[in-house]
Amino acid sequence: MATDTVPLFAQPNTVRPAADAAGMRACCLAACAAGSRATVVRLGCDDSDACRLRALGLNEGTTVAVVDDRHGTLLDVRGTRLALGTALTERITVQPHV
Amino acid sequence: MNSVPTSSLTPRSPSAAPTIPVPPARVALVGNPNTGKTTLFNALTGLRQRVGNFAGVTVERVEGSYRAADGRSVAVLDLPGTYSLATASPDERIAHDVLMRRSGDGWIPDVVVVVVDATHLERNLFLVSQVLELGLPVVVALNQADAAERSGTRIDVPELSFALGVPVVPTVATRGEGLEPLRRAIDDAVRLPPPGRRFALPAAVAMAVAPLELQLQEHGLSRAEAQLEALRLLSIDATETGAYDGAVERARDALRAANEEPGQIEASLRYAWISQIVTRCVSSAERPSHATSDRIDGVVLHRVIGPMIFLALMALVFQALFTWATPLQDALEALVARVGDVVTATLPAGDLRSLLVDGVIAGVGSVVVFLPQIAILFTCIGVLEDSGYMARAALLMDRVMRRVGLHGRSFIPMLSGYACAVPAIMATRTIGEPKDRLATIMVVPLMSCSARLPVYTLLIGAFIPATMLFGSVSLQSLTLLAMYLLGTLAALAAAAVFKRTLLKGPVRPMILELPPYRWPSPRALLVTVAQRCRLFLRRAGTVILALSIVLWALATWPRLPVDPARSDAAQRELALEHSALGRIGRAIEPAVAPLGFDWKIGVSIAASFAAREVFVSTMGTIYGVGGDDGDTAKLTTVLRAERRADGTPVYSLPVALSLLVFYVFALMCMSTIAITVREAGGGAVGWRWAALQFGYMLALAWGAAFVTYRVAMVLSGGTNA
Repeated sequence: MATDTVPLFAQPNTVRPAADAAGMRACCLAACAAGSRATVVRLGCDDSDACRLRALGLNEGTTVAVVDDRHGTLLDVRGTRLALGTALTERITVQPHV
Repeated sequence: MNSVPTSSLTPRSPSAAPTIPVPPARVALVGNPNTGKTTLFNALTGLRQRVGNFAGVTVERVEGSYRAADGRSVAVLDLPGTYSLATASPDERIAHDVLMRRSGDGWIPDVVVVVVDATHLERNLFLVSQVLELGLPVVVALNQADAAERSGTRIDVPELSFALGVPVVPTVATRGEGLEPLRRAIDDAVRLPPPGRRFALPAAVAMAVAPLELQLQEHGLSRAEAQLEALRLLSIDATETGAYDGAVERARDALRAANEEPGQIEASLRYAWISQIVTRCVSSAERPSHATSDRIDGVVLHRVIGPMIFLALMALVFQALFTWATPLQDALEALVARVGDVVTATLPAGDLRSLLVDGVIAGVGSVVVFLPQIAILFTCIGVLEDSGYMARAALLMDRVMRRVGLHGRSFIPMLSGYACAVPAIMATRTIGEPKDRLATIMVVPLMSCSARLPVYTLLIGAFIPATMLFGSVSLQSLTLLAMYLLGTLAALAAAAVFKRTLLKGPVRPMILELPPYRWPSPRALLVTVAQRCRLFLRRAGTVILALSIVLWALATWPRLPVDPARSDAAQRELALEHSALGRIGRAIEPAVAPLGFDWKIGVSIAASFAAREVFVSTMGTIYGVGGDDGDTAKLTTVLRAERRADGTPVYSLPVALSLLVFYVFALMCMSTIAITVREAGGGAVGWRWAALQFGYMLALAWGAAFVTYRVAMVLSGGTNA
């Protein structure tokens, strides 16, 4: 199971969750409105779904932008568009950017 | 042409390059979905392609070839699109097994070409980083290089090649650009030092995974493969680590003790390395612009307008199938009739002429005339797929699918079911959850496939008036749309029943990549459509040809002595009734009579079990038999003129509707049953599911046809119920 540990290998294009901690509280991705940005803290879904998400570029420490929230959540992940169902976004913890 | 020996049958040690490099004879193409991999494959190989299945499984396997500069033939295998080698889905497992030299058919690539989308380099490099560790010669095809440039992204190709340690060739597959440099790079790759891992594990991670790597090497993996496999085993589901369970668990414990989350390690390490490469090689810091795609999505994914656009597009597809194909179909029909005429004029009257004209030409001809519709259907599906709309359709349909217990991913196999249930059932392999997959397999044959189209077209063309509604929409195309909707709704309802009873289980969450909208490449479309048409014609030329001959024989013998007192039509009718085919029809008549069908329809239905299109060719054979002038009359006209003993038309509107509805639901297809057996688990389990599928669909077909017939009879005030 995933934990809340901050990843060892921080990436230049991602923000450590702690950097935003002063601004807003961590929440689930489903709660982020269209137009907002957030950094993935934890993938609380099944191991197999988490493995697939990571291969699609959505791993812990990645910054994502919510493009659309009309049919599940449409994200900008590393320049690609990824649509995720609510069942999944409710189990992904993110740190919203101020 | 010289045949060059290949080293590909024996696994090569990945740690050392061969001393005398042999020019490559086998190339595997791998890449993320939506990278233009198949377009590149088509551009490389043209029409020299062979479609089959991977050994032991039913994932479609497309292999092609091209001639190298020295005349050598190079085989190219188009592996299924995959985001990683994690083997979470059967498609990924195929790519993994072929690249890890474990595929069932022993096909081992000499060179691996990783097709990457230049506009989404960062995400695509994840798979590249895994493939590099296989130890095989690798070439990276930087596809859609033009689109990247247009969006303001400049990629330093020599620097990227240096960073990855393998040749990088920019390509634009849609325009066929970069193919020659790519072919040269493939030839040269075998002479380069084998690639490998380009980053080091942190000390704590290296120590934790070392015992697992060692165990993997003891099981026959090379050092590089063991390193790749160890990271993979840590990132996949704990229940799928198989024989290495204990070692994986110990590695996970060691990592947790070092305050590391095992599942995150592979992605974190790879993306950290990728970020460095992107920083070095991509000069524009900006992400590719999605502005146009986002603007289109603003409309296409609108809550109200979105579904309306979806329905309008589907209606357009069916309008195209029905209206636009007609001139081509008429031309083909005339050609078939002309061939029949020529044969009749050339050969003397007798059994051989009857076999050729009434059996072969009438039977195969009546199926071949549907070629324009098959081509139009696959063109439409290709345009929807290549333009990027298909993924949006899956997203729009996710809510509907979820309501019946499936998810958006089941939609693409179901939509493919409009073309053919066989590839559609194969496409369910992208659905990870076994129960969702099985539920989708069970309902896919309810989607009206292209083989039903000849039956629909024949009956609608003959019995539904060509009235135009609202000035431009014909009643015929609306009826056709209704048949497709009926099948689709039945499929959704059946899925809901399966998911609430036999296949109760959780619904997997939706994960779907939406590729940017693109103009489909006419060249790539042409190759795909030509490939599908060729498969259809091969079927018409083999199965349907054989069945047409068998049916002609059954309809001809035993012969009835000619009675000069009877009219030609009466003689033909009696001869058919006396034949073996007529006797079979009589035997099954009681079962189909309540649906309004006579024995001739019964025979055609029974014969269509080989393939639905055969219904039309059987009708062609039945009504073509005994025609002494040998003229292949248009089936439609003959059907309209067919009368019962009491003078009422056999094919009244209620009968035509009943027959249409029967074909919407009935699983009259041997190939689908065979594929269900294999895909639903094989052996006794597979047969049980296939039997259930056939049984429930037949019951549904009989019941629905019965109700349709009765209701239509009452509404039309008919009496011959």
